[in-house]
Amino acid sequence: MAFFLEVLIGGLMAGVMYSLVALGFVLIFKASGVFNFAQGAMVLFAGLFFVGFIGLGVPIWLSVILTLVVMVLLAIAIEWLVLRHLVNQPDIILFMATIGVSFFIDGFGQSIWGSGVSQIDIGIPTDPILLLDGEILLQSFDLWAAVVAGALLIALVLFQKTRIGRALRAVADDHQAAQSVGIPLNVIWIIVWSIAGMVALVAGVMWGSKLGMQPAIVGLALKALPVLILGGFTSVPGAIVGGLIVGAGEKLAEVYIGPFFGGGIENWFAYVLALAFLLIRPQGLFGERIIERV
Amino acid sequence: MAASQKNIGDVLLKVDNISLSFGGVKALTDISFEIREHEILAIIGPNGAGKSSMLNCINGFYHPQQGTITFRGETRKQMRPHAAASQGIARTFQNIALFKGMSTLDNIMTGRLLKMKCGLLSSALYKGPAEKEQIEHREFCERIIDFLEIEAIRKVPVGRLPYGLQKRVELGRALAAEPSLLLLDEPMAGMNLEEKQDMCRFILDVNDEFGTTICLIEHDMGVVMDISDRVVVLDYGRKIGDGPPEEIKNNQAVIDAYLGVQH
Repeated sequence: MAFFLEVLIGGLMAGVMYSLVALGFVLIFKASGVFNFAQGAMVLFAGLFFVGFIGLGVPIWLSVILTLVVMVLLAIAIEWLVLRHLVNQPDIILFMATIGVSFFIDGFGQSIWGSGVSQIDIGIPTDPILLLDGEILLQSFDLWAAVVAGALLIALVLFQKTRIGRALRAVADDHQAAQSVGIPLNVIWIIVWSIAGMVALVAGVMWGSKLGMQPAIVGLALKALPVLILGGFTSVPGAIVGGLIVGAGEKLAEVYIGPFFGGGIENWFAYVLALAFLLIRPQGLFGERIIERV
Repeated sequence: MAASQKNIGDVLLKVDNISLSFGGVKALTDISFEIREHEILAIIGPNGAGKSSMLNCINGFYHPQQGTITFRGETRKQMRPHAAASQGIARTFQNIALFKGMSTLDNIMTGRLLKMKCGLLSSALYKGPAEKEQIEHREFCERIIDFLEIEAIRKVPVGRLPYGLQKRVELGRALAAEPSLLLLDEPMAGMNLEEKQDMCRFILDVNDEFGTTICLIEHDMGVVMDISDRVVVLDYGRKIGDGPPEEIKNNQAVIDAYLGVQH
């Protein structure tokens, strides 16, 4: 039993890390109906800048602020150079544009800061914690990650209740209608990409602290895809719950089902889970009901 | 609510020599007309005459290559749609542009976005002034819902509503902004007789009770002749008629445009 709990908790904690990445996708999807392929690259980009500033001897708090400024500038540039010209275009065009953006900022970040693995140490404790008389082993780093994800969730849920939050939802539904009630589309897009950039920074710092800041992090973003399918593309709490399910699911599957397949199912279990979900509940656990009138 | 004698006021919006083309296709050529305060102006014309393009110029979706638009004495060459909205121009669309995932009430509430002033923090926590503000706006929207007789669908996501009701919700959202100029792009298209009569009644009531100036595009000539004070006729992007309905009915150029001429 203790072993089961340890695997479960370890999985949930890994899931939190997926959720951090998935949150960024949800934000942009909600505000523009576009799957932002570049979110993974933004995580790397933010992380590289953060590590880079620290490497230059800038204090941590100032590095955070400077990186946030960089992410806002990136959002403005993306809006100005790409999105502005694609208003009212079909979603697939916007999606293709984000693929282009993804490759660009991936390469751009690496050409500035290099592509090696660099360690981030911002003083998050990493000593193990023992529960139940030492039967369950926990990493305190994972607990911190959970706290960060929780704080982010609360902030984003509250943000959605504001005037700007409402405007974001309106823009996602219909560009034209949103403009006609007086919502400045360009401003909204800059805001939402900036917030997604901030979320990317949080994800980048957490992943970087765990694995070291490295280009492979871009690929991790693809793990967010099954998370989104489970949780629903339009739900902030869904991204968290989806991440937890994927994290716990793949660890438990590896331990309890893995042996029948000779192991190694952790890498693809999440995608099978997502596939099953698409057949049963395509809108995800918390997504909006899909209504189609013909 | 008194059915007062209608007094048409000063010029609210003036369109001067507007020309608009998409590549080589001329959508509008040298169009000028005025909309006066408290008036119901209908823009009519055969399909492809440039009616919707004209509305899109007025609320800033399209930027005409030539000409100016003067709204409340302020002349402009270009304007963005959200700027038009904040100056008091609201509109509905030919192919309904609603926020399909939101309820009727939420859709109408988005019409109040520009009127909301409260800061980010207080509205996130829904405390203090933000709560009061929300309640006030909610009250206003409920009045519109009563007025349009859509109480029963207040909580229904609009994507599930039938066409006629969606058009009504869209009108409600436009009204929520308390516009001084309301642009309606084919408000009665695809409606049955009863729905059309309801819509006519709403348009006349809005014009009468709130004094809102209305500019509408409509194909149903019976409706146009009944409710409008003045009619502007477009054909192939040019203005071919402008005057009260009785005059337009007997205008030879208009009759030719609609029925065709023998060559």
